[in-house]
Amino acid sequence: MRVGVISFPGSNCDDDTLNALAALGVEGVPLWYQQTELPPVDRLILPGGFSYGDYLRSGALAAQAPIMASVEQAIATQAMPVLGICNGFQILCERGLLPGALRPNVSGEFLCTWETLRVVSVPQGFVGLKTGDLLRMPIAHHEGAFAVEPGFLSTLFDQGQVFLQYSDPDGQVHALTNPNGSVANIAGISQGSVTGLMPHPERAMAQYLGSVDGRRFLKAWLGEEDQ
Amino acid sequence: MTYEEVGLTAEEFTHICDQMGRVPNDLELGLFGVLWSEHCSYKSSKNLLAWLPHDGPAVVQGPGENAGVVQLDDKVHVAFKVESHNHPSYVEPVQGAATGVGGILRDIVAMGARPVALADSLRFGTDDPSQHLQHAVVEGVGAYGNAIGIPTVTGEVGYGAVYDKNPLVNVMAVGLLPAQRKISARGARPGSYLLLVGQPTGRDGIHGASLLASQDFGEGTEHMRPTVQVGDPFMGKLLMEATLAAVETGLLDAVQDLGAAGLTSAIAELVYRSQVGAQVWLDDVPCREPHMTPYEIMLSETQERMLLIVAPHHLEAIEAIMNHWELPHRVIGEVTEEPLLVIGTRDNPRQAVLPPEILAGACPLKPVPANGRDKGRQLVPSMPAFKPLTLEREWGLNVLGAPECKSRAPIYQRYDSMILTNTVWGPDHPLAVLRVKDSTAGLAIAVRGPGRYAALDPYSGGMAAVARVISLLATQGAQPLGLTDGINAGNPDREDVFQDLMALLAGIADASQALGVPVTGGNVSLHNETSGHPIWPTAVIGAVGRHSCPLEPVPDAPMAAGMDILWVGPEDLGLGGSIFESLYSPRLTPYPRANLTQLAEVLAWVTSLARTAPGIALRTIEEGGLFVAMSRAFIKAPEKLGITVKADDPVVEWLFSEAVGQFLIFSTPESTARLLEESPKSVTVRVVGQTTLDGALQFRAHKTLHYSREELERTFAQGYRG
Repeated sequence: MRVGVISFPGSNCDDDTLNALAALGVEGVPLWYQQTELPPVDRLILPGGFSYGDYLRSGALAAQAPIMASVEQAIATQAMPVLGICNGFQILCERGLLPGALRPNVSGEFLCTWETLRVVSVPQGFVGLKTGDLLRMPIAHHEGAFAVEPGFLSTLFDQGQVFLQYSDPDGQVHALTNPNGSVANIAGISQGSVTGLMPHPERAMAQYLGSVDGRRFLKAWLGEEDQ
Repeated sequence: MTYEEVGLTAEEFTHICDQMGRVPNDLELGLFGVLWSEHCSYKSSKNLLAWLPHDGPAVVQGPGENAGVVQLDDKVHVAFKVESHNHPSYVEPVQGAATGVGGILRDIVAMGARPVALADSLRFGTDDPSQHLQHAVVEGVGAYGNAIGIPTVTGEVGYGAVYDKNPLVNVMAVGLLPAQRKISARGARPGSYLLLVGQPTGRDGIHGASLLASQDFGEGTEHMRPTVQVGDPFMGKLLMEATLAAVETGLLDAVQDLGAAGLTSAIAELVYRSQVGAQVWLDDVPCREPHMTPYEIMLSETQERMLLIVAPHHLEAIEAIMNHWELPHRVIGEVTEEPLLVIGTRDNPRQAVLPPEILAGACPLKPVPANGRDKGRQLVPSMPAFKPLTLEREWGLNVLGAPECKSRAPIYQRYDSMILTNTVWGPDHPLAVLRVKDSTAGLAIAVRGPGRYAALDPYSGGMAAVARVISLLATQGAQPLGLTDGINAGNPDREDVFQDLMALLAGIADASQALGVPVTGGNVSLHNETSGHPIWPTAVIGAVGRHSCPLEPVPDAPMAAGMDILWVGPEDLGLGGSIFESLYSPRLTPYPRANLTQLAEVLAWVTSLARTAPGIALRTIEEGGLFVAMSRAFIKAPEKLGITVKADDPVVEWLFSEAVGQFLIFSTPESTARLLEESPKSVTVRVVGQTTLDGALQFRAHKTLHYSREELERTFAQGYRG
């Protein structure tokens, strides 16, 4: 298994993501945003960070980077599994590869906290996760309030595209467990082979760092049953 | 141009003319003005800093470079330093704080180290505008640190009306480098190029160091806003990656970051330390604006710039790295054999011709009286101690909810504390514990700057600042490798302020000497006063320690019921300088002086306990005294646990004194006996309570104070509202 990790200027979770893949025994392939063709890889991750300093809008400039055309094509022609984490999620939304958009947190402030995520619908290709599972992973973002056009929310739910919701430790989803003002507490969504989430699985790879649920998450995305 | 216009005194001007053997021209005078400013020359503090111990078994690089370097193990070294950005943060808080973070990170990068952690120490006033200032400063620290991707892993905040118009923004950065890497500002060789990398030079930040940071504030600082630089963390990230990649090739002679006084300071320091000269071509400096004068180009403090010294035959390889990161870069001059700094254009190559040893090495230093160090020790203010006679339940809540004691979460949640995935203990603990991926050892990082303790007795406050960070390291059994000192004080030309500064430094020097920990560098920020009101002399001390089991920190809260609670502390428990006193006494009294000999023994014992005693938890007693330390341990403990403590006499002092050298130990009954037996004779240790299953915190004195988990949690999170 070879997983490409795309760095844009200003990406800063690329090394953490490559380290997480290495910890799972998976070969990570660093890719630079100017590449116009993808090398042979089985999957792609767009890591977190501040591509282009979040100037204009988070992810807006990176979404137009040269490599994104090949990413788009790989999704369309080979159903390439693509995972966007934090800024990667923002880039995928800006490119139109995922529905919706990420707006500034309702507090207007950056927020770095541990959150409990409840699995709503398991995206295509994930193994070993089921509806109602809880994952503990950190968030760290300024623009993480997921938003959709009016009337579109129920479609997202109906089509099974809502992946993760911010919940309390018991899995209850309510206003008090919404850290950033996301519509319906949505923390992650999917569309076909493309998945995006604001929380950082690559930071939850060991109990001494606070949680091993990121390991479980990434294994599920890689299609491996967690032991 | 006159010498006054560039901030020089008549004596300094005469000294320059004597040394040069001529009168400097305007450009030369301007360069002297910035380099001989307080901010760049340390002219008032250098003789005081000489008291500090600089040598230790782990020291690789002491003061005088961009940052200190200590040895973590055979393979990994640690570069670290604290820096202040006080004046800019008052004038323009978001950018002032952000560029402070950018500046200290570039210092670490200039040592060839990859930054892994930031720690912030903030001081604000107590008036309404201070709240807005705090919000904006935190925004600025986060904006830069979060975007460049370096976690802010620990920090502290304090308040006092003396900071109303002089907030303090001190930030410490820590980086790692391979042990064999040797890069600094010392290696420039004749014939090599000066390669200027990063942001094109603009008209921002001119006189930031010489005028903004080296003078007091008076009425109206609006006109100083253009002297504050603007930070661009995106460019900072590219510059960091490109510089580290260039250093990794091993092809660079030297690296120097551009900070205060821009090109002037960078080039002068570089050629002075390397004992060479340089020819600088101003027409080759990439500028953001047309028609910038030589003076503006040399003094601009445009951020995100780095000076790389590279031999001509390596230029192509280095430029390829800059091109990959899409960084503007240009050769702006070359290193020469003759030790002369020559600045000019192709038309007029010798517009300034200055010997570096005069420019960077001859600024007259403020003399220190021969008995200066003793004087600080002897100045013990005598005032009747504050001794309350009653005990009220509400006092505890009021202290726990005080801004200094309550949860710092509203600040640290705005910082990314986890990126780089090394943070084992983050900002919700009293100190940070980081793993180091290339080592089995880890880092313990602590920062404290108790200004209130130095308000009346700066010597005592200086000692306490050092003692506090070493105490924190001791609770983890971490071996202190080095300290960095961020000195903040008022106008040194005032006799009273200078006396305080001397006493503060004497305290830091005595404590670091007695505790055997070297100071490897730091920062001095003077002129922190507005309209004649100076701040408390505030020493922000950062410590870096070697943690032998970073993946398993020693807990800071009890884990089970039935544990004994032991208190360790000195006999003299005054309330001077405490939060309790600030809330309940009509006036401040002096902070209790530490007995350094005894303190050294306590710290050695606590350190060995942390390393060897099984199943214990440890916590230092800090702001808010034992009450707050116990409350925080209680809040962190498993939900059903309770704590019952039998309070010692005199109860109020015992509950709220902030004297250094106090610790709480939570141990199993099996280990308690051995622990007490093996404690050194000079150390006072007493069993003062037990953990229970009743879910509440109780203090038994002549009456019992009972606190529920819910009210303590709420008070700690939100403050006390009566």
